[in-house]
Amino acid sequence: MSRLLVEALAVAAKDLRTEFRTRVALNALGLFALTVLAAVSYTVGPYRITAEDRPFLLAVLLWIVIFFAALAGLDRSFVKEEESHTAPLLRLAASPTAVWLGKLGFNLVLIYFLMAILVPLYCILMGYKIQLVGGFALILVSGGYALAVITTIVAAIIARALTRGALFSVLSLPLLLPLLIFLIQGTAGAADGTAETVTSTLRAVLSMGGIMTIVSAMLFPVVWAD
Amino acid sequence: MRVADILKWLLFAWTAVVIVSAFFYVRPAEGFIGESSRIVFFHVPMAWIAVLAFLVSCITSVMYLKRRDPKDDIRASVSAGLGLLFAVLATTTGAVFARIMWNSYWNWDPRQTSITILLLIYAAYLALRGAIDDPERRASLSAVYAILAFVTVPFLVFVVPRIYWSLHPDTIINTRGSNEFDSRYTQVLMASLVGFTGLYIWLYTIGCRIEAIRQRRRQEVL
Amino acid sequence: MVSCGAMADGVRISFTDVAKRYDLRVVFRSVSGEAVPGEVLVITGPNGSGKSTLLAILCGLLRPTRGMVCHVLNGDETAREEWRNHLGVVAPAMSVYEELDAMENLRFFARVRGMNDADQRCHECLELVGLETDRRTPVRGYSTGMAQRLKIAQALLHDPEVLFLDEPGSNLDPAGKGWLGEYVHGLAAVGKTVVLATNDRDEMKWGQNHVTLAG
Repeated sequence: MSRLLVEALAVAAKDLRTEFRTRVALNALGLFALTVLAAVSYTVGPYRITAEDRPFLLAVLLWIVIFFAALAGLDRSFVKEEESHTAPLLRLAASPTAVWLGKLGFNLVLIYFLMAILVPLYCILMGYKIQLVGGFALILVSGGYALAVITTIVAAIIARALTRGALFSVLSLPLLLPLLIFLIQGTAGAADGTAETVTSTLRAVLSMGGIMTIVSAMLFPVVWAD
Repeated sequence: MRVADILKWLLFAWTAVVIVSAFFYVRPAEGFIGESSRIVFFHVPMAWIAVLAFLVSCITSVMYLKRRDPKDDIRASVSAGLGLLFAVLATTTGAVFARIMWNSYWNWDPRQTSITILLLIYAAYLALRGAIDDPERRASLSAVYAILAFVTVPFLVFVVPRIYWSLHPDTIINTRGSNEFDSRYTQVLMASLVGFTGLYIWLYTIGCRIEAIRQRRRQEVL
Repeated sequence: MVSCGAMADGVRISFTDVAKRYDLRVVFRSVSGEAVPGEVLVITGPNGSGKSTLLAILCGLLRPTRGMVCHVLNGDETAREEWRNHLGVVAPAMSVYEELDAMENLRFFARVRGMNDADQRCHECLELVGLETDRRTPVRGYSTGMAQRLKIAQALLHDPEVLFLDEPGSNLDPAGKGWLGEYVHGLAAVGKTVVLATNDRDEMKWGQNHVTLAG
């Protein structure tokens, strides 16, 4: 078990190091998010939406920005391995589970990094007031986790196909849609202060993230090896 | 082959009776505009087949990953193709019904949301199959995707509509209750469900045979 | 699983009636052969005859459309999970990480293989292929020959029982080719198994067994 963790950390560290030197995924993810944020805050701004609609509509916009930023960059770690022809040697050297854990870790770092910068900026620029900050943070953390788990396994699949770019969004979206709806609900709840919605959302998001983790762990070796 | 022929004619007769009785045996249900309730006899079975085909696809995908038999991959892909067809039919008939009843083709009713996502899943599954040229890899990757989609669906069917409803209570327009319908309605709907299931099985076996022949011809080149 | 027959020490790879087909292309229809410990199996054939594809199938990276491949280690058939600890591969279609330098590359591969005294072994391998002085240059700045040397070092890192070489001499200078030929002979002499796919006349002479693929 500890050996698996060491190997997974080696994979994640390798990905972070190459990412730090090339910044391909970070640029895709970060620039996309910031551009959209700028566009949204310019066109919608803090005062266009009436006070009663704000908790919900601003939650919709926030999660759409996060989801599409994720779809712009979270496939990079797998696609890059295939495009630069490094995948076969990794396949021969590392255990599939270590690769999956490492890539998942890398995607988690990316998504949390994105959230850490994007979410405060969004709240300031859009004037998004959150009543339950703790609940909001929990929703972000659990939502980011579920998002990373689902996109990681889909990225592993599409990396092995011929046409990759569009396929990632096409395959991810049906799987992400329920998650997106949960998270929007929960965030709206956190914004207008209904703790009940927040807890029910957390339950749904965590169970979805948990199930997807188990299924991914079982199926990833198949995706990776074939 | 004889048995299959008899079954084929039986299916023909059965669906013919269902169609005729859908239009003449049942009177229009109360609370529905004009004759619009009759579409239910075709719309509901189509939606049922769209879901059934998805189930078959998922089960055969699991079997493929277990046994690595190319036939299971054929089964999964044929069923997905049929599922897409019936999902499109169910969506269209549903939209027509919605236009007559609620004056708009589309209003993101929870059921409409669910079938849309099912459509997206089918489209994604078939797009993935089209993007891999290695038969072995295509079989296992698409099987994995089918299983992932299968895991997602319960969240859609059971959780999303409920949350959605609590948000938009004014969109709860689906008020038909079983008491409004006489037993004839139930009889015809059940018969139609059986007929459509038979139709699905028939199309499915034909599809599998065609695909098997296609693969055998490729193997002959090999 | 069909058993492949028990054998003595070392790794034996036997493949029977192996075929690979893509949607629009048949790579090969039926290939059989065997690689045994202490010998070099040479796979030859014109461009596009499927040498690299066969190699990928033999090392377990690709699933054949038909046929059977058996990896037997010390008389027992090896499981897929264990198999990867026993082979090293050098192939044109398999690269190391360009953003990392030679040492980082080897250290990474050693780590994911769970090797212990990794650093010392990495230095040994770099010395072996003559890259010790360039170990801190990112691979992106390497010449193709140097990159080839690093790939060889990577393949030898964990001292594998089987070595798969796909056109290993490409981009190497004459001295490098000479060294590699001798090294491969040395490996075979101590009972390792070598599978070599090549069209190079000199390299073809390294092996005793030949499998020729038709175009």
